[in-house]
Amino acid sequence: MDSRAPIFGFNDARDEIVRTVVDRVLGATRDPLLAMNEAAYQEAKRLEGSRKPQDVRELTEWQRLARSLGRMHDAERRRRLRELAEEYAWDIAGNFDPRVYQLSSRLLPPVVSALLAPRKLVTVVRDPRKLISLELLADRVLVQGPLAKLRSLVQRGTAVYVPTHLSNMDSIVFGYALERAGLPPATYGAGKNLFTNPVLSFFMHNLGAYRVDRRIRHNLYKDVLKTYSGVLLERGYHSLFFPGGTRSRSGGIERKLKLGLVGSAFEAYTRTLLSGRERRIFFVPATINYLITLEAETLIADFLSEAGKGRFIIEDDESSRIGRIASFLRKLLAMNAAVVIRFSEPLDPFGNRVDELGRSFDARGREVDPASYVKNQDGAAVVDAARDVQYARELGEEICRAYARDTVVMATHVVAAASFARLRSHAPAADLFTVLRQRDVLTVPRDDLAADVMALCERLRALEQKGCIVLGEDVRLGSGGDIVERALRAFAGYHSSPVLDSRPDGIAICDTNLLFYYQNRLAAHGVAWDVIAPPGVPSGLQVQPPLPPRPPSSLPPPLDDRGAASSRGGAAGARAGSMNGAGGGR
Amino acid sequence: MSARPAPSVGVIGGGFWGVALALAASRTGAEVLLFSRREHPQINDGPRIVRDHAEVARARLLVIAVPSNAARTALRALGDHMDGSHLVIHGVRGLEGEALKTVSDLVREETPARRVGALGGPIQEDELREGRPSAMVCGSRFPEVHAAVTAAFQSDGLRVYTTPDLQGLEWASALVGCLAVGVGFAEQAGAGPGLLAALISRAVDGAARIAAAAGAEERTMLGLGGYGDLLASIRLESRPEVILGKALARGRTLDEAVAEARLRVEAIPLIPRVVAFARARKVDGGVFEALETILQGGAPRTVLDRMFAA
Repeated sequence: MDSRAPIFGFNDARDEIVRTVVDRVLGATRDPLLAMNEAAYQEAKRLEGSRKPQDVRELTEWQRLARSLGRMHDAERRRRLRELAEEYAWDIAGNFDPRVYQLSSRLLPPVVSALLAPRKLVTVVRDPRKLISLELLADRVLVQGPLAKLRSLVQRGTAVYVPTHLSNMDSIVFGYALERAGLPPATYGAGKNLFTNPVLSFFMHNLGAYRVDRRIRHNLYKDVLKTYSGVLLERGYHSLFFPGGTRSRSGGIERKLKLGLVGSAFEAYTRTLLSGRERRIFFVPATINYLITLEAETLIADFLSEAGKGRFIIEDDESSRIGRIASFLRKLLAMNAAVVIRFSEPLDPFGNRVDELGRSFDARGREVDPASYVKNQDGAAVVDAARDVQYARELGEEICRAYARDTVVMATHVVAAASFARLRSHAPAADLFTVLRQRDVLTVPRDDLAADVMALCERLRALEQKGCIVLGEDVRLGSGGDIVERALRAFAGYHSSPVLDSRPDGIAICDTNLLFYYQNRLAAHGVAWDVIAPPGVPSGLQVQPPLPPRPPSSLPPPLDDRGAASSRGGAAGARAGSMNGAGGGR
Repeated sequence: MSARPAPSVGVIGGGFWGVALALAASRTGAEVLLFSRREHPQINDGPRIVRDHAEVARARLLVIAVPSNAARTALRALGDHMDGSHLVIHGVRGLEGEALKTVSDLVREETPARRVGALGGPIQEDELREGRPSAMVCGSRFPEVHAAVTAAFQSDGLRVYTTPDLQGLEWASALVGCLAVGVGFAEQAGAGPGLLAALISRAVDGAARIAAAAGAEERTMLGLGGYGDLLASIRLESRPEVILGKALARGRTLDEAVAEARLRVEAIPLIPRVVAFARARKVDGGVFEALETILQGGAPRTVLDRMFAA
């Protein structure tokens, strides 16, 4: 653990960070009247229906502000704008206590134990080490990817981790993965609702999180948030964003991203150049793969319900119920490799590959100076928001490709895909909802399902050969029957009603919604039915294989280029890479 | 800073288009380098001919004007001398390979450049070369590229329109190349103005849907870069695609027709690939199926039936 990572000095720097954020936001706001009007309008709209005393109070204040804005002098408006920006910036700035961090970064194991035996919680708080079951957890949670390379990069620049997002467990699991990989902690913006979640808030306050209030929709708040994350990056704080913006409702990997926070990296990098102290930024896509997802039932129901489309924040799902978390964790602890966090090859902000020394290389393996991308025609580095929006968009596409390639296929995904395909052939040419209505009408003989699973595995293996996906150990090594068995075990006892039911005449297909959820993980690869492609993305998009390993360039050979952190040369190379990890190989 | 100011525009390709683009940029006062392996006795002032990729890459705005089948090689050689500060645009009509990659995709694959764009629209090579009034379209997601292209090419006689839909413009240019074969064919087969207009409008509509399936905006195909470009082919006797279409309507075989057109017609390999693409994406590819019938020597009546069935 590198305790020199800037996050450990956060409290000392916080005043200055907030001041910088406020100054920049004010400097960039051309028309305070417009900005505050918009804020007041959006806030009034949000608060109008509420009866909570706090909300009513806020609403009155906003209405008063809106009425008086027109009469104010410009100086007065600027003053009010500054006040608002300050308020938001302080609200966002988290409270980071390095002592608590040291504790809580090791907290997943003890808390896991505590949740299994809640009465021991007192003991955990007194002495967490007593309950640590790290060895056990190491088999359950795998961390893969070019870890040695990442450890080298975080010494040379700022890492921005951009993982997929399925569950409220993600930030905790990811924090744990960083710790396991020997990587310094990262700050991240967690939804403010997570801070009120009785279970998760415990971690949120202490993992270096800052608070994002996703209910607030106006631009002033978004500007403060974006500037805040940019200032942190500029100062070298490794950061974690979930660019999907929200947990994947469908269970599918993200194919379209929200790029606001990702975009803040471009200005941050340019500013380090302008100040004469270049600090490179490395984007690290990652996939977080679960054998079963804690909130699967709520998420897929939300995806399927029309009303759910506008529901960005769910406050009452499984992650707020201690009992569900406990049974989820019990399941997790009973199964090997139940969670796999897989880091992808790091990229520079312009989508170029980087080596362990932090140098960028274009698609043909030529070294390229990342600073050249932010230079104008006269060769001067300039901050240019319109340009950076486009860079961010292209980076987003690159990140999505990495997600697809580093998706780890697990038994539940394959078995769900095989079962769902059965359902579809049972009701040919039916639409999604007709297929989903076939609850408990179809029973497939075990051997037939196992054969379907094997056939899918063959296709997946072919994809893996091309570097387009990664097979989990269970899927790679198991027979069709083994895989079905493992999926049955994983589903049984966690989800509230049976997903698949083992009966004398075969496997009954019961919870079609959940099978849809788990099969969606493979939709982008064309291995499962793809009805979840976001608008503007063709369905069944062919996943692109990775670039071939860098050809030897005519430049002087880089030192130790093919060193420990093997560049990804097909799946075999990638697996070798995971062996370097703290707990990747066994 | 060197004594001589850095050249502002580098044009790669010494064919008709490359020369015309170099002359047009030179006319606006830009310092122009033209990378060409040929001799150009007709150019005595304005563009400076260079033989070296490193030399032409000294310009920050690079314009690729080579045939689409030569684009990848040219870009790879050029890429050795580039970095992320270059702006790269191209005037290449065509889509590469079975994957139907656009030339700007190739730029990203073969060079470190990210700020890319394309030129298109109805402007003709002779208008550009002689400085007669006309209009072209620059497609790029980067406002910087629009600004640089406008600065380098726009003049009293040449209007540069811009669109952020780069992919739409590239697809429009390529698909118009295919549709122009149909225009030549219909004219020669005796289609009257009403029928011709109907065919063109239906064809553009079909092409717009196909482009949209590839991720482009439909309206780009319906605008200057698509419809506008295709209208220019109506009265053009010299356009290779039109000549090819006319020859086919006279009952020539494809080989004879290609010989008559005398220039590489990119549409010939492209048409069947567009048909396959439309089929794979489940969009109506009837127009391109009709064009495929034309290439296979179909009679005008069959082609017309095929068109109206679409």
